[in-house]
Amino acid sequence: MPAMVSAAQPVQRSFNPYTENGGTILAIAGADFSVIAGDTRQSEGYSIQTRYAPKVFRLTDKAVLAVNGFAADGNMFVKKVRQRLEWYRHAHAKDMPIRAIARLIQTMLYARRFFPFYVYNILGGIEEDGTGAVYSFDLLIYFKNQTPAPGTAFPKHLPLSTVLPLVIDSFTSATERHIEVGDGLEIYIVLSKGSTALQSLQTIRGIQELTATNDGERVFVIRRELKKD
Amino acid sequence: MSIMDYNGGSVIAMVGKDCVAIASDLRLGNEALGISSNFQRVFPITDRIYLGLPGLATDVTTLRERFRFRVNMYTIKEEREIEPETFAHLVSSTLYEHRFGPYFIEPVMAGMSKAPSGGCKPFIAATDLIGCLNFAKDFVVAGTASTKLYGVAEGLWEPGLEPEDLFETISQTLMNAVDRDAFSGWGCVVHVMWALIAT
Amino acid sequence: MNSFVERYSATSAVGQLRKAQRLTEEEEEFSDAAWGSQAGFGNIMNGPPSFTVPNVRDPAAFLRLHTDDHADPNCRIKIQHGTTTLAFRFQGGVIVAVDSRATAGSYIASGTVKKVIEINPYLLGTMAGGAADCQYWETYLGMHCRLHELRNRERISVSAASKYLSNLVYSYKGMGLSMGTMICGWDKTGPAVFYVDSDGTRLKGDLFSVGSGSTLAYGVLDQGYRWDLTDEEAQELGRRSIYAAGHRDAFSGNTCNLYHIKQDGWTFIGNYDIAKMHYDGPGDVPGAPGGGYGYDVRLAAANSTEVAAA
Repeated sequence: MPAMVSAAQPVQRSFNPYTENGGTILAIAGADFSVIAGDTRQSEGYSIQTRYAPKVFRLTDKAVLAVNGFAADGNMFVKKVRQRLEWYRHAHAKDMPIRAIARLIQTMLYARRFFPFYVYNILGGIEEDGTGAVYSFDLLIYFKNQTPAPGTAFPKHLPLSTVLPLVIDSFTSATERHIEVGDGLEIYIVLSKGSTALQSLQTIRGIQELTATNDGERVFVIRRELKKD
Repeated sequence: MSIMDYNGGSVIAMVGKDCVAIASDLRLGNEALGISSNFQRVFPITDRIYLGLPGLATDVTTLRERFRFRVNMYTIKEEREIEPETFAHLVSSTLYEHRFGPYFIEPVMAGMSKAPSGGCKPFIAATDLIGCLNFAKDFVVAGTASTKLYGVAEGLWEPGLEPEDLFETISQTLMNAVDRDAFSGWGCVVHVMWALIAT
Repeated sequence: MNSFVERYSATSAVGQLRKAQRLTEEEEEFSDAAWGSQAGFGNIMNGPPSFTVPNVRDPAAFLRLHTDDHADPNCRIKIQHGTTTLAFRFQGGVIVAVDSRATAGSYIASGTVKKVIEINPYLLGTMAGGAADCQYWETYLGMHCRLHELRNRERISVSAASKYLSNLVYSYKGMGLSMGTMICGWDKTGPAVFYVDSDGTRLKGDLFSVGSGSTLAYGVLDQGYRWDLTDEEAQELGRRSIYAAGHRDAFSGNTCNLYHIKQDGWTFIGNYDIAKMHYDGPGDVPGAPGGGYGYDVRLAAANSTEVAAA
C-alpha cells in the first residue's frame, strides 16, 4: 500500500521552552544598606517587547529580588517565591529573614535541576544583624558574596551617596553600548534600622517609599529614564 | 573556543586634550594556561604612531614585521614619515588582502597627526580582523576583554583629559576590565603621547 | 527501544524521577510547605528529593541541549567549570585549600566564591564542576550526617558520609550531574580524604587535587608533600599550591581559602589574595617564607642580595 509509505525522511523536532529577554540587573551591598537595580526594557532578539517590564521586586521590607533572563520564567518564579514567603508569614507571624530566603530560592531552583528556570537572580537586602547583603544565584544555586577577611578592605563600605551615582552611571554606560539595555531604570534601596544613609535620600528627586511594616527596615524606589534608542 | 581567544590579550586606546594613550596587557597564554607575563603587543611604528595587535600571537609577530616592511617602503618612496591616517588605511588594506583567510588580529592604533597649523592632533583608530576601519572620537578597544573594556571606558572616559588624567583613566579602565577577563592580565603597559606644540 | 524501555520502566533513573514527580503532584495539592517553613528543604523531608522533569522523551538529552557549552557554545545555560581545589592528609590532620574564581566562558563572574562547603563541624566538602550540584548535594549530605548522629548516637565516619554521597550521585548517573569533590574530615580512624565524583568514582587517598588547575597544583603539592609535615608547613604547602594554580590557570585565581581539619573539627585558617601572594607573599602567617611567591619577584630578591654581597 503505497499510501502508507511516507516518502519523507524522519524529521527531528526539538522542544525549546526558553528565550532570552535581555536586560541588566545589579546589586551593591553597603555596611547598613543594599541597592538593587534593574533596567525595564524587555526584548527578544532585535525587537523591544515592552519598555516597562519590572525586573526588580520587593519581597519583604528586608529583601528585594531582581530577576533576569527568560521573563516568563522570571515572573513565575517571583510569584512562587512570594507565595512561599506568604505561607511563612502565616506560619511564623514574621517576615522570612534574607538568609533563609536565599536558601529557599536555592532549593526552589535546584528542584528544577532537570528542567531549570532560565532566570539569573540577585537577592539584596538586610541581614538579621542589620548589615547589607547581596546573594547572587546562577540557574540552580546561590553564592553569597564572601565577606572580607578582618582588617582587609573589600569595598563593601561605600556610602550610599557614592553607590547611587555609581549605579546610575553603570546603567547609562551599559545603555550606550548594549542594545538590550535601556528605556527605564528602577533602583530599590533597602536601609537597615536607623541607617544614617536616610538623610542622603531625602533630597533625591522622585524617590518613593515602599515600606510596609514597622520593623525598622525601610524600602525606597527611585525611577529614572534611560535612552530609548 | 574561538581562535581569537587562543592566546588572550587586550588593547585599548583613548583620546585626550592634545594627547593620546594606548595600553595593553602583557599576558601570552595557551588557552587557559598562562605562558608569558611579558609579551609585547603594542609597537612603535614611527615617532608619532603606536600600534596594538591583540589576537593570535603568531599573527602578532607576522603582522608587526609586515607593517615594519610596508612603513619602511613608504618612508623610502615618499621620503617622509607616514601620517597616522595614512597608516590606518595601510593597516586596513593589508588586512583586507587576506579577506578570505584573515590574520586573527584586531589592530588598535594611536598617534599624533600633523595639523595644518603645524601643531599636532590626537588620532585613534581600530579595525576588525579584515580591516574595517573605525575612527572613533573617544576610545577604541579590542581583544578578549573588549566587552568589559567598553563598559568601564564608557563610564570613566570624558572629553578633554590632560595627559596625567588620561594616563589615570586608561590605566584604571584597562586594569579593571582585565580583572574580569580570564584571558587578559598578567601585567600592563601604557603609552601616552602628547603634543609639545598644541593646535 | 532504549528510550521506550526507559519511559515505561519503573527502575530507570528517568522512571523513578517520573514516579516521584507523579507522587508529588498527587500529594501536593496543599504541600507541607504551605503550613510551615520546612527549613527550606520542604520537598526533601517527605522522602527522597523530587525534581521537575520536562515532559519530553529524553529529559537528559533535553537538558544537555540547553546546558552543555562544549556541544554548543551559544546555548543559553552555562554551568561553572574552572576551579582548583586540593586536599591532603598528613600527620597533623587534613589541609583543604581552594581558589575562589567562578567563570562563565572568559568572563570572571565572581572572584569571591566559597568553594569549601562546611557540611558540619567535622566534615568539609570541596566544590568543582557544577557548583549547584556540589552545593546542593553536600548540604543534603549534611542533613543526613546529622540524622545518622541522632539515630546512632555517634558521628558518621568520613568513609560512610562519602559513600552516601557517592551512591546518591550514582543513582542519577546519566542525568547530567557534574561534580568532582573531596569529602574531608576526622573520624575514629583519624584524618581522612575521599574523592567522589558524579561518574560514581569514590577513592580513598592521601592527596587529591580537582579542577582545571589541578595539574599545576599537583606539581607543587607532590614535590613538597611528606606525611610528617608540621601544621605550619602543611598550611604553607596548601597555600603555595593554590597560588601556583591560580597564577598559571586562567580559570582559577583571585583568592585562596585555607582550612585545617584536626581532631576537634575544622578551622578556617585564612583567605589569601593570589596577586598579593605573588608580589608580597601571604603576609605574616606561620610557615610562610616571607616575600612574594612570584618567580620574577624571588629572582629580583636573589639578584639584589648578590649585588649586595658583591
